[in-house]
Amino acid sequence: MKVKVGIGMLLWAILITVSHIQLNLGWSALRKEVAIMTGEQREELVIGFLPVT
Amino acid sequence: MTKHSDEGSLFSSKKFTDWPTVKEALISKEIGGVFILAPLAMQLVADGVPIKVVYLGHRDGTGIVVGKDSPINDFGDLRGKVIAIPSRYANQNILMHKMMDEWGMPYDSIDLRELPPPEHPIALQTGSIDGYIVGEPFAAKAEVDGFGKVLYHTKDIWPEFISCVMVVRQDLIDERRELVQEMIDGIAKSGKWLDEDMQHRMDAAEVTAKHYYFQSPELLKHVLSKPEDRVKYTNLAPLQEDFDEIMELAFKIGVLSRRVAFKEYADDSFVRPLDQLDWGMDRLPREGGGQ
Repeated sequence: MKVKVGIGMLLWAILITVSHIQLNLGWSALRKEVAIMTGEQREELVIGFLPVT
Repeated sequence: MTKHSDEGSLFSSKKFTDWPTVKEALISKEIGGVFILAPLAMQLVADGVPIKVVYLGHRDGTGIVVGKDSPINDFGDLRGKVIAIPSRYANQNILMHKMMDEWGMPYDSIDLRELPPPEHPIALQTGSIDGYIVGEPFAAKAEVDGFGKVLYHTKDIWPEFISCVMVVRQDLIDERRELVQEMIDGIAKSGKWLDEDMQHRMDAAEVTAKHYYFQSPELLKHVLSKPEDRVKYTNLAPLQEDFDEIMELAFKIGVLSRRVAFKEYADDSFVRPLDQLDWGMDRLPREGGGQ
């Protein structure tokens, strides 16, 4: 019984985590954040502007 | 306030004060892209600078402004007057010539003078010019401060007017396409968010007045609401028919040194349908997380 409850909780936690990534975070964002945490440089783009119009 | 996009990339802005420095910054790869005047983007390509127009900054959002109590009531009344323009490479300059064509006026019938946009309102107030044509918020400035009136909004004389365009270096398009796509998606999402709810516009006025424009929030709220379609942030795909018209007029009046084909200076492959893009937030983040 304990094993079944444990597996159920584990599956539930995985389901919630996957849903959170899918709905709120995005897989590409997660991949990028993991890459940055493991030492990769964050991609950067500098955009210029003139206060003209 | 988050320092990077939802996808994890970092986008930052750099202010410039003159066009030659922008050109050098693009060539030296100091910047990846820039918001510039549409005819100037065409001339840079004509000069051999490897860039492409990938998106627009906004539609409309320009006005012809004259003194509140002046006897100028239509375009014909501008004959013999001194009118400030932001730059000879501005689409506002092209529009003035287009209007002179439509009103049967020779090009020397209005004295057009280049003046930095922030100086337009004070020049009108002090009487050194009779009017000006400029992008917001400088057209609204004279209205809000009570000494000017908008003679025409571009939405009424050249609907879907294009002023600033987003250009990106060709090497970025070739080598870091995902990053450029992320930026364009961000601009598209923020534009859709602005145009879908007046409350969003008011919220954006509060945040951008403080952190980007350094203008009064009330001035920006006026720009974004009076009237509501004074400036628009959707329909930002670069459309060939719009650009062909600007290019032909710019070449005709001598702003462009040669004709430039649309495919030479524009890449519309980053444009995605707006229904695929959503920001999913009601209010913009504040510094320190406060509301």
